[in-house]
Parts: sequence; structure tokens; C-alpha cells
Amino acid sequence: MKRRLLGVLVVLACTLLAATAGAYAGKEATTTLTMWSYDNQDPGLEPVLKQLSKEFEKSHPGVKINLVFKSFNDLVGTVPRALASGSGPDVTEGNQGYQTDAQLVKAKLILPLTKYVKKYGWDKLYAPSTWGMFRWTPDGKQFGKGPVWGIAQTGQNVVAFMNRKKLVAAGVNPNKLPTTFAGFERMLAQLRAKLPDDDPVIFAGNKEGYGFIHLFGGIWGAHVKAQSVRNWIYHVPGSRYDTPGTIKALGRLQAWGKAGYFNDDFNAVGNDASAGEFAKGKGAMWIGGDWDSTIIREGLGAKNVIVMPVPPGPSGVWTSIGGLSGPWHISAKTKYPDLGAEWLNYVITSPRAKALMYANQQIPSDRRAKAPKGDPYLAQVTRAFQLVANDDGLLLYTDWASPSMYTTLQNQFQLLLAGRTTPAGMAKAVQDDWAKFHKTLAG
Amino acid sequence: MADEDRADAARPGTVGPGAPQSRRRRGAGRAPGDPRNIGWLYVLPGLAFYLLFTLAPLLHTVYYSLFDWDGLTEKTWVGLDNYSEALRDSVLRDAFLHTAILIVYYAVLPVIIGLVLTAALTRSAIRGFRFFRTTLFLPQLIAGVVIAQAWIWIYASDGPLNRFLEVIGLESLTRPWLGDFTWALPSIGAIGSWVTFGLCMVLFIAGVQKIPTSLYDAARVDGAGAVREFFAVTLPGLRGEILVAFVLTTINALRNFDIVYNTTAGGPGGETMVPSMYMYQNAFLYNRVGYAAAIATVLAIAIFLLAAIVLRVGDRSERT
Repeated sequence: MKRRLLGVLVVLACTLLAATAGAYAGKEATTTLTMWSYDNQDPGLEPVLKQLSKEFEKSHPGVKINLVFKSFNDLVGTVPRALASGSGPDVTEGNQGYQTDAQLVKAKLILPLTKYVKKYGWDKLYAPSTWGMFRWTPDGKQFGKGPVWGIAQTGQNVVAFMNRKKLVAAGVNPNKLPTTFAGFERMLAQLRAKLPDDDPVIFAGNKEGYGFIHLFGGIWGAHVKAQSVRNWIYHVPGSRYDTPGTIKALGRLQAWGKAGYFNDDFNAVGNDASAGEFAKGKGAMWIGGDWDSTIIREGLGAKNVIVMPVPPGPSGVWTSIGGLSGPWHISAKTKYPDLGAEWLNYVITSPRAKALMYANQQIPSDRRAKAPKGDPYLAQVTRAFQLVANDDGLLLYTDWASPSMYTTLQNQFQLLLAGRTTPAGMAKAVQDDWAKFHKTLAG
Repeated sequence: MADEDRADAARPGTVGPGAPQSRRRRGAGRAPGDPRNIGWLYVLPGLAFYLLFTLAPLLHTVYYSLFDWDGLTEKTWVGLDNYSEALRDSVLRDAFLHTAILIVYYAVLPVIIGLVLTAALTRSAIRGFRFFRTTLFLPQLIAGVVIAQAWIWIYASDGPLNRFLEVIGLESLTRPWLGDFTWALPSIGAIGSWVTFGLCMVLFIAGVQKIPTSLYDAARVDGAGAVREFFAVTLPGLRGEILVAFVLTTINALRNFDIVYNTTAGGPGGETMVPSMYMYQNAFLYNRVGYAAAIATVLAIAIFLLAAIVLRVGDRSERT
């Protein structure tokens, strides 16, 4: 008993000692800024942020940047409580939408960036409509309105990657690709007829549930106005999901499934994994995020891949699910907000930052950024993003519309593709989720 | 020690029934035979831990369940609103329904498999008995995440299970098991059976060793075969162990989270949603801590009730 007590005391003493040591380490002459990011996918922005932070430290003697990378779910699941505790990061990524950013704003855990937008001229980075995804009224209830609370580093876009060899083999002229949605659907039918039965037209991966949320964007945008989608996400009163256009678009997706365009195990394949399978030669097409463009380039070779958004419907406006990468926020409890903003300005707007992003196959969010010459593949990816961005056709991410929207869409798309619900049934279920959450915003 | 014995002996008359000698030392102003207060000191560390880490969070959860709370900003008192919502919530109802199905896989099947294995392993001396017992118990010792990853691989479209079906000519049965609407829940159930049957078996084997061999001898003299012997001697002798196995495995089924979270996360289309998964989604994804707490409380009550019923039924059948 005595010995055990002694053991407990020793452990306690060590913990105390470690805690005090930690506290003193923080009080050194240097100023340490802690940044949390989830942009470490495969490898994503991680090398860019690391390199830029090193350079920032060099030009700011006495400043230390402590970069912490976490998985998306880990970060989003813990950052509200970490910021509230006061010992969280000084600068961190959040996530647009009601699930995370609305919480951070409402709980007063992050600072509005109005001052810095002015100071650094950030307003020129994005189109006015793009800024909506960073705007919240201070009560966290109205999305797309109010002050700016975040700023993002890269552009993101869901586009079609096509295997040039397979297109040619199926009789599609890669130099005269369809520019309308109807033409695109005719091409899909042609591919289905010419490809071997066990090779899908579109290799899909929906294990996490976002595969079809993303893939649907191109079909959706061909049937409805981009602004109506954004309004719905921003909870503009009177917005609806169960419109004739959306129901028709859902019907097209279901028809693609019935026509055998997809691999039948899509619910069991992860989305990044499906990009990997496409890169190994499975399927004629992969529709997904351009953040996976590196793995596809490495697998199929830059010259054998065609990158373009799903073409527009009658309106002629190019659209896609996409927007900007995770929003960077400054903690309301940090002692160095100005220094944090200066770091953000460096890693997002400096020419050095843009060069490093391009070198790592990432598209800078700054709409004025020009892709380096001599890399046709990167030029294709950049053009696909700018085609949509300049048409004001970025639909943003549908799951931002309510905290439970991601799960609802995941379930409904799975039900739709299994033929267990109708397009109208799905549209109603999604709208019900929206309406239920919309009620809580009124109170 | 010897000194103390002598001290006790020097005070005759203080030794009473129910008052063991060790209890009488150092007691001042206390009637002989009374429990000494110092006993509380001995249980204090355990009690403190229990209060701090089990009872307090439990009560805290019940308290939170009466609020509308996002986990960060001001709480709003809503009384029993969260509970009335839970009663009307079709997702939660389905989740409990799925759990009822999982109980078959997590509790009923493992007990049956455990009994059969016990009968097989104990009836005659088997070479490598210890090896089998250890190997079959192993799943119980592996972390849930590891088990989930292993089975994701087994169930994958090009995984061993589908390959095996192809080899034996049952290609028509191959499917992405965890992504299939009809088969996802049974597939998760099968993982549960695999994990828990070892526990049941070890419990039963230990139980069988307590059954007097004379009963088996008597049965054999009476001309009972293996089956008769099992139902007449082994099964009644294992009643207590079966009860314990049922309670443990049923609780396992009800609070199942790690396997579901790591294999299907409730999909496809909500077909494998279970209460604990739904509770997690509400607390950490939907920012509805109050409602999540209500689900947790309902789940806890369900577990208590079910355990009580199993024990009650077992108790009654023991008396008859």
C-alpha cells in the first residue's frame, strides 16, 4: 500500500514538473504561433505551408511557427473546444457551413477579418460572390452575409478526368469534346456501348458518402441556376431543394446508375481510392475533386488525361461543386492576431506562395494567379477551375446547408442509386432536413 | 501479529459472532461488532474514482439531456423535449431495431456456438485443447479498430470472401458486403459473433469443470448418449454461466460503436445505424449535445432494463 502510494506521488510530482516545465518553455523570448491545418492529403498543401513558414520565421526573427497537421475529422471535431479552452491554436482552419464555422462565430471563438481585408487588400483575391462562403452575421445564423471571418488558400473544383486512350478507342474525338450537357450524356452512352461490360464508364467511389455529393454537382448545375443553389446553402428564405430542375437532375443521376455507367461496388470504394483505381486504368472517366489530380497524373501520365468540368445545360453557364479550400481563422483568444494575419497574407497572397502552390499541383485561390508555362496538365486543371469561377458557377458544397446535411445527402444518394427512393422522394427528404434546421435559425 | 493476538486474548468477552478479531483493533467508543468507520477509508480510492468517473458523468449526462445545447454557447432549458423528440425520431427507432437484430448475432449465436464448442472440446480429450481455447478466445483481446480493418479487407469486393465464393463456383453470391443494403447489417453482425463466441466458450468451459463428474457417470450408467448427456447434465449445470454470457454479450451489442463506426459509419442509406453511432453524430457533427445526451440516457436505460430482464428470467428458471 505504502509503495503504491509512493508510486502515485512520484507520478504526480513528475506530471507537475512536466507541466511547469512546459509553462516555462512557453515563456521564452521567442513568440510562438500555433497553426492547425488538415491540408495534408496526399500530400496536399503540407509541404507548401512548411516551406513558407520556415521563410516567415527567417524574415521575422524571434517568431516561431508551430504547424500542427490533423486529419479533417479530427480537426473539425476538436477545434471548437480547443479554441474555447484558451490553449488552442492561434490560427486554424475551420470549415465553411453551419456545422463548424457558424459555431465558431456564434461562440465568439474567432475574430472578424474586416481590418485585415482592408489592410492587405484581400478583397481583390476572390469574386464578390465567392466571399459569401466566409461571411456570417455575428450571431452565426445568417450565412453569406455580414463580416468576413475567414480566408482560403486554394481553389477546389469537382471536374471530369478522362482517359484519352479509352475515349479514342470508343470512337470519341478528344479534340471535339462535347460542350453541352446533352452532348456529354450522348458521349457517356457511346462509351457504355463500346467499353467492355466489366469496365465502368465512370469509376466512382462513395464509401465516405461525398463521392456522389460531389459527382452530382455537374448534373445539378446543368439543370438549375448556380445562384439558386448558393441561396439554398446560405438559407435565403424561400429557397428549396425539391424544385423540378433538381428532381430532373436527380433522375438523370439515377438513370446513369441504371444504365450501368458506374462500377457496382461504389459504396465500398473510398473516393481517393477510386481516383487511384482510375489512375491504374479502370473506367474511362473519373468525376471528382481536382485535389486528386496528382495521383491521376502519376498513374495515367499527363498526356493521357483530359480535364474539364461537366459541360453546361441550356443556360450555357459552366458549373461544378467547388469553392475554396478550408477557411483560415484567427483565434479570438490569441495574443498575436496581427502577426497571425501577416502569416496568412504571406502563405496566401505572396508570389512565392503561389509559385510553391503551383509546384505542388494546387491552384491558388487568388483569381489573378497565372499558371506557370510549360505544364499543359496543370494548365488544364487551372483552366477547368477558372472556367467555372469566371462564370460564377461554383456551387459550393451542398453539405454546408445544415449540420446534418452531410449524413442526409450521403444516405439519400445511396438510397437513390440503389433504387430505394425516387428523385422526388430524395428531394423531399433533403428539403425536410433543410427546413428543420431553417426553423432553428429563425428563433 | 502475535502481539495483537495476545492483546485480543487479554480481553475476553469482546469476541462475538460476526465480529472478526481484526475488526476490533483501535476502535474507540464503538459497540463491539459494529463496522469500523476506517472501512470507508479503504474503499475511498475506488469509491472516489467511481463517483468521479462513472456516477458523476452519468448524472451530468442526464442533466445535459434536459437542455438545448450546442456544446459551446449558452444552454437553454427545454425540460423533457429532447426525450419526446427521441420517441418520435424514426432514425433512432430504426437504430434500436438494428440493435435488436444485432443482439441475435452478438448474443444468441455466440452462446449457441460457445455451447457446441464446449460440448465438443470437453467431451473427449482433444490434442491441442489449450491451443484451440486460446486461439478461439483471441478476437476478444483485439482492439475494435483492428478487427474492423481486418474485416473490411475480408469483405472487400476483391477480398478473400468474394474470392472464395468465386473459387467454389458461387460467383453469383459475390457482392461488396459492407456496401450492400441487405447484407451490410448481417455482415457487421457476423463480425460481432466472431468477436464474442470465444468469450462465451471460455466461460462455459470453466463452468463445465465445476460440474461434478459423478453426474456424467450417472448419466452414462443410465445409458445417455452425447446429446442426452448435454441436455440433461451440461446445459443445466451451465445455467449461471449462460446467464452471465447473455448479459455481457447483450450489453456489447447495445453499445456497439467501434465496429460500426470503422466499417460502415451507419451506411449504406442508414441501414447499419445504431444508437451509439447516432449519439456520436448528434454530439460531434450536428452540435446537438443535449439531444445526444438524451439518446445516451435512453440507451443506458435500455441496457439496464435488458440486463435486468435477462437476470430476472434466469433467476426464475433457476428456482423452478
